[in-house]
Amino acid sequence: MVMSYKERSIWVSLAITIYIWFNYFSTIYHSIQSQNLTISIMQSALLSVVIMTVVLEILHHIVIAIIDNKNANYDEDERDKKIALLGANNAYYILSFTTIVAVVHLLFPFMSHHIEALINLPNEYVIINIIIIGALIAEISKFATQVFYYRKGF
Amino acid sequence: MSKKITNNIRRLRFNNDEMTQQMLADVVGVSRQTIVAIEKDKYSPSLEVAFKIAEFFQEPLDTVFQYK
Repeated sequence: MVMSYKERSIWVSLAITIYIWFNYFSTIYHSIQSQNLTISIMQSALLSVVIMTVVLEILHHIVIAIIDNKNANYDEDERDKKIALLGANNAYYILSFTTIVAVVHLLFPFMSHHIEALINLPNEYVIINIIIIGALIAEISKFATQVFYYRKGF
Repeated sequence: MSKKITNNIRRLRFNNDEMTQQMLADVVGVSRQTIVAIEKDKYSPSLEVAFKIAEFFQEPLDTVFQYK
């Protein structure tokens, strides 16, 4: 399987993103289950996400540069740029949809009363997590679109 | 049936002292994987890259690329 430096890097970023956010949501889920979700738990979970993202992304670039040192200074070519654009395009649609969902949730709270009752969370936590989930799905969709077009062509 | 862009780059490379994909990639300023994708008709290059490839092989553009 011929894989460019850029494509390999995208696969690793996709895995890192899924791993980090899986940790975040499992922390939140366990806090909800034990009914002790507070703003400080969310803050520390988000801080962990930021720190882990920075550390793992730095490590990922160092490791890939060591493995594939010939292409360590690889510059994107036109195909990479087009594929990146297709990924960003899909991510944009999802982020736009997330914005609409968050606004609807804020303006028409009666429409989502049952969600709050179901997960037993105050409104501000629900909105924060709607935005986080939307951003996460957008990010995963961006990476997934990119690896799809690297494999399939266009 | 819809038309697509095909090319003779593999043959032209072969006739050009069995030039490698990496050498062609370096000449036209793209990655080797992009040359692989072009040869397999998985990616249609920009006009600029298409002209660079044709110019390098000293062939008219429609000898290198076909739309059929």
